[in-house]
Amino acid sequence: MEYVVETLDLSKHYGEHILAVEKLNLRLHRGEVYGFLGPNGAGKTTTLRMLLGLIRPTHGTARVLSQPPGAPSGLARLGALVETPAFYPYLSGRDNLNVLARHAGIPRERILPALEQVDLADRAGDAFKTYSLGMKQRLEVAAALLKDPELLILDEPTNGLDPAGMAEMRVLIKSLGQGNRTVLLSSHLMNEVEQICDRVGVIHLGELVAEGTVDELRGQGRLRLRVSPLEQARELAAHMNGVTDAEVSDGRLRIAVDAGEAARINRELVLAGVEVSEVYRERDSLETVFLGLTQNGSANDVE
Amino acid sequence: MWNSIVAEVLLLRKRLSTWILLGVWTIMHAVFGYVFPYVIYLNGDAGSAGLPAGLTPARLVGTFLEGYPFFGGVIALMLGVLAFGSEYGWGTWKTLYTQGPGRLHLFLAKLGGLAFLLAGFVLVTFAVDSLFSYALSLGEGAPIDWPGVSSMAQGLVAGWFLMAVWASFGAPLAVLSKGTSLAIGIGILYGLVIEGLISAFVNSVSALRSVAEAFLRANGYSLVQPLGVGGEAASSNGPGAFSGPYVGGEQAVAVLAAYLVGFLLLSALLLRRRDVT
Repeated sequence: MEYVVETLDLSKHYGEHILAVEKLNLRLHRGEVYGFLGPNGAGKTTTLRMLLGLIRPTHGTARVLSQPPGAPSGLARLGALVETPAFYPYLSGRDNLNVLARHAGIPRERILPALEQVDLADRAGDAFKTYSLGMKQRLEVAAALLKDPELLILDEPTNGLDPAGMAEMRVLIKSLGQGNRTVLLSSHLMNEVEQICDRVGVIHLGELVAEGTVDELRGQGRLRLRVSPLEQARELAAHMNGVTDAEVSDGRLRIAVDAGEAARINRELVLAGVEVSEVYRERDSLETVFLGLTQNGSANDVE
Repeated sequence: MWNSIVAEVLLLRKRLSTWILLGVWTIMHAVFGYVFPYVIYLNGDAGSAGLPAGLTPARLVGTFLEGYPFFGGVIALMLGVLAFGSEYGWGTWKTLYTQGPGRLHLFLAKLGGLAFLLAGFVLVTFAVDSLFSYALSLGEGAPIDWPGVSSMAQGLVAGWFLMAVWASFGAPLAVLSKGTSLAIGIGILYGLVIEGLISAFVNSVSALRSVAEAFLRANGYSLVQPLGVGGEAASSNGPGAFSGPYVGGEQAVAVLAAYLVGFLLLSALLLRRRDVT
């Protein structure tokens, strides 16, 4: 299978002691929105810079759109936002895109539609230095869209935006990820990733510590039941098929079992004379999973 | 490539610092090449010997080139530094690199843009000098004899070449320092202090002669000497003064061309190899 992005043991070391990225193996499928999650300093931006050919890996290899990172034929088919938006401050938004379009050999007719797509056409003639941060971010998205890219690499695109700007950017990214376009989105914002991404990889201290869909990362969770009498229910549940753990917590019964077994558990408890007044699934939030992974640093490959 | 060069010309053309440097260079030409000498002439024994030859169209090429070996060089150095170093300050290398044309392509496009810009600087100052020499000669009733076309062409090419060498000197300074301020400071310090002082001591310390002969300043003045610059004009050129040692014209061209190629190769190598962080 051909992947849009594929890395093999990709590593970047600074000197002998600083391991920015360590043996990273990533595979992005065509058309997916992949969330690259990690705390600040985890190695997200370094990884993206390596994929774009901005920095050279110390070890390992990468292929981006079947090309080595930084190859003109690969870069011609991808758009990227890396950290803060960087443009010529004295040029207008339109002129900035004009410069980039000329360098990339893109017809100038593509500039206006790209500006319209990010809702910046009205301010296209103003100098970049007069733009708000949100407008600067949107101009960078417009620059990435000039090429109608197969792959979009977005490095914390909502950083520094106010809540309205963040919401706007999320909607924009979601719309960009439609169809066959692949999006690699780096972020440390859980809800952003949860809302946008099909699959998520968690990087910590330069290593990929987990990968999977948001559902897979959050796991099956546990069943919580409001029952009476509580201790009798716990005793019964502990010996039921499929239940690996049963405990009493916060006045409720909490059992580790596949969520699909909820109806059977309920029936068996009722038949045994236990009153069941509430059953629901309790799952860890992505944030809890993320904190668990990045605070312990333990590897946990879900996929 | 042409599209990329046009993009670079757009960047340089719309930049305020470009126009400020062009203004400074043009004013320097007018003031130090014509206005001051004319005022000195007026305050002296005006009329007895006629308008000084250096202010007439016949000597246009020599007067035009007087400032190029040093002052024009410093202006070009700043342009070279700004063209490459500002990309670090604004963080725009990453934006350019991710567009996809390749680092070497972008480097060559920047050189192409700079080459056009320098040609503009040369042409504008030549036009200003022509205008002043014509106006002064007309006003003073001096003969208006223009130099031959080939002589003017040589002057223009020599001026452009000197600026190109200094601009190329600015490129590796900017790339090495990843910015503009330090690069301009080091460039001016080198031109003014190191080359200037060592050249000034050549007559006292003969061992410095071979060192000075390799300088941009010595080779620059040697290049334009056959075109009418030298002698008193060069030795009284303020901070850019030069009174030898001169080298042969061909040697000057070869040494300056070697500098040009060396500076550009070093810059290209650094830009190609370095991480963009």
